[in-house]
Amino acid sequence: MTRAQGAARSAAYWIVPSLVCLLIHWRGFTAWFRADDFAWLGVGIHIQNFGDVLGALFSPQAQGTIRPWSERAFFMAGFSLFGLDALPFRIVIFATEFANLALVASIGNRLAGLRAAGFCAAVFWALNGSLVEPLGWVCVYNQVMCGFFLLLAFHFLLRYIETGRRRYNVCQWITFLLGFGALELNVVYPALAAGYTLLCARKYFRRTLPLSAVSIVYVFAHNALAPAQKTGDYAMHFTGAMARTLGKYWTWSVGPTFLFTPLGLPKWMLPAGVAMVSLGLVVFLAAKLRQSGAPRAALFCAAWYAVTIAPVLPLRDHLTEYYVFLPVIGLCWLGGWALAEAWRSGGRARVAATSLAALYAFMMVPEVLAASDWQYRITVRVRNLVEGVARAHELHPNQAILLDGVDTPLFWNGILDRPFRLFGLDHIYLAPGSEQRIDQHPDLGDINEFILPADVTAKALERDELEVYDARGPRLRNITQAYAAMPHDTKLPLRVDAASPLASYLLGPEWYPSDGDHRWMPKRATLRMAAPASVGQKLYLRGYCPEEQLRNGPVTVTVMVNGSNLPPAAIHPGERTFELSFPLPDPVAGSPELQVTVEVSRTFRPATDPRDLGLAFGVFEVR
Amino acid sequence: MNNAFPWRRLCCSALLLTLVFAPLGCKRKSKVRVQQTDEESPRMASTVHMGDPKAETQLVSGFYGIEGNAWRWTQRQFSVVLRPPVGSAAKGATLHVRLTVPDPVIAKLKTVSLFAAISGSTLAPETYTQPGTYTYTRDVAARLLTGESVRVDFGLDKAMPPSGADLRELGLVVLEIGLEPK
Repeated sequence: MTRAQGAARSAAYWIVPSLVCLLIHWRGFTAWFRADDFAWLGVGIHIQNFGDVLGALFSPQAQGTIRPWSERAFFMAGFSLFGLDALPFRIVIFATEFANLALVASIGNRLAGLRAAGFCAAVFWALNGSLVEPLGWVCVYNQVMCGFFLLLAFHFLLRYIETGRRRYNVCQWITFLLGFGALELNVVYPALAAGYTLLCARKYFRRTLPLSAVSIVYVFAHNALAPAQKTGDYAMHFTGAMARTLGKYWTWSVGPTFLFTPLGLPKWMLPAGVAMVSLGLVVFLAAKLRQSGAPRAALFCAAWYAVTIAPVLPLRDHLTEYYVFLPVIGLCWLGGWALAEAWRSGGRARVAATSLAALYAFMMVPEVLAASDWQYRITVRVRNLVEGVARAHELHPNQAILLDGVDTPLFWNGILDRPFRLFGLDHIYLAPGSEQRIDQHPDLGDINEFILPADVTAKALERDELEVYDARGPRLRNITQAYAAMPHDTKLPLRVDAASPLASYLLGPEWYPSDGDHRWMPKRATLRMAAPASVGQKLYLRGYCPEEQLRNGPVTVTVMVNGSNLPPAAIHPGERTFELSFPLPDPVAGSPELQVTVEVSRTFRPATDPRDLGLAFGVFEVR
Repeated sequence: MNNAFPWRRLCCSALLLTLVFAPLGCKRKSKVRVQQTDEESPRMASTVHMGDPKAETQLVSGFYGIEGNAWRWTQRQFSVVLRPPVGSAAKGATLHVRLTVPDPVIAKLKTVSLFAAISGSTLAPETYTQPGTYTYTRDVAARLLTGESVRVDFGLDKAMPPSGADLRELGLVVLEIGLEPK
């Protein structure tokens, strides 16, 4: 082999897995944002001082997670530099994954002692269905980044063992510590390091133990800051369900996610394919363990899978396709090793291993392409909507925007997380009746929060305060004239968003003007809304009470409805966002309307605002 | 080592990428691109063609998605909003519904009757006993057509309930609903 050929082979060794990844996940690379992405993109939009920066970076959010690098800093920096341009985010995500693939190849090579094994492992991982979301959905970057820290730390451990040089141990420690900023899963790294050294480099085993102390401290500190959830989807169940969960994740690891294929294959084929690939891995592992002086690195590959999947097994009610993204690396090393070794030995082993690898690709690739395409298409719909609304606002800066024809996927991916606030738009609503077109998911959010009541819509159209757009097609279509000509319900609403300028006609003169996403009341304020049709309903008040207002103790809120005083409620220090409920007296049921008066026990005047402020609203709702 | 990880190359590539893409961030002024919208605000139509996706805004309730680019299944009750034609407030208009009664409907229900109601006034029903294509036509009094729009509610005496083959409640297949001047 000439020197040039050697260089070309070496380059191909590092580059081909990344090219395969880019090719297979091209739709993911060209996708836009959706759903939770918008929540994270907005994490820094209210930052005013250094304290806010620290809060945005390190305060627990979304199920108590603290991921300063992979979510907070990534989105804050990305949004401040590039706005809603997804390409730079994608470049970072794919660049990280390319580094991961190189590390997988490098580590696979070291584990098996075969260069081809690392290469095959990297290609197997690039083909795996669990990569679709980490690469195609920006908010799942935490998985990709966590993989980078885990693999890099492990790479440094291997180098430390190979060379004995202390600097590699220091690098391992630094990488491990930084990994906590990517994903909580980083806590398993000490188990990986200890497992490897125990199996393959016992001399170094004791030196890995201090890593565990850090993970233990992290677990306690994290639980103190963000206690584990006891109920809901993220509650942990240490029961026999963990075995069922493992079984499901195993099928998604060696076969396509959700055992889905767009190929219309007979039902038995995918489970059979999963069983065959699993059998191949088990046979290879058993063969390795039977060899005298066997390279126990094969057992470590299986241990990698077990250790990295273990933390998500108790999440019985929250099975997520990308939870196998990192565990499956262990199986890819094992599979890559099996293929490389079988290829070398030739004969039946080569045929069997090649057939299994082809079967794995046959199961994975169509599912990956279909899932990536779905991901891409929904993000394109969301982009059309968001960028169309931005244009509509340019054309009609003084009007609120009402969207008609929003369906289930568009709502949950493009409305729920309020992408419009990212460019300063608070008053984007869904047309009355939209709830009939959208499937409910109460665990994710309340569609009603986004719907403009019919009466408010009709009044706003009369006052020329609203532009109506049809969101059914790829381009927003202004249908204000036709929509205004349609008959509208003129009953008072059961839900009043006091922050909305469109609801001003329902508010008394005491209220201050809307501040976008909230509206301040003075000491006392009034409003009108619909009365409940039946008895036993409650009036709910939702809003915000700043720390400044609560500095002198609880604030008492008194509500009067149609002349009757309701039992007062209090907002206590620490409860900055509040929801108060007041049982409504029976006689108001069936009344033509509710006259609501709200009064707070005191007001405050901030240094930067000359107004006497009571509470910021918020929503009034009868239900 | 022959298989050593190419750190130097990786770092250089990362630095190069950073330098290449950094200007993208510096040049950006707006947080979001804008996409053209269709601002030619359409008037409400007097006749709604079921194959026209743009007409969906006038379908109030009771219609399923477009099929064959031309028609929609209805539920047992369905409603549309139409623009009264010019002069109809004085002379009245004719309501027409182009529809198909599919074979399975007659096979299952034997007969099906369609009626319409406008502002509380019920128009005479029509009963179909054979599968085929029909036009339901009724005169509408001028006094019912004085507004900018009129809501027309339709009802069937029965519909095919959801079944294993189709989980939807199915009424008729409708191609077009409209008001024509007299």
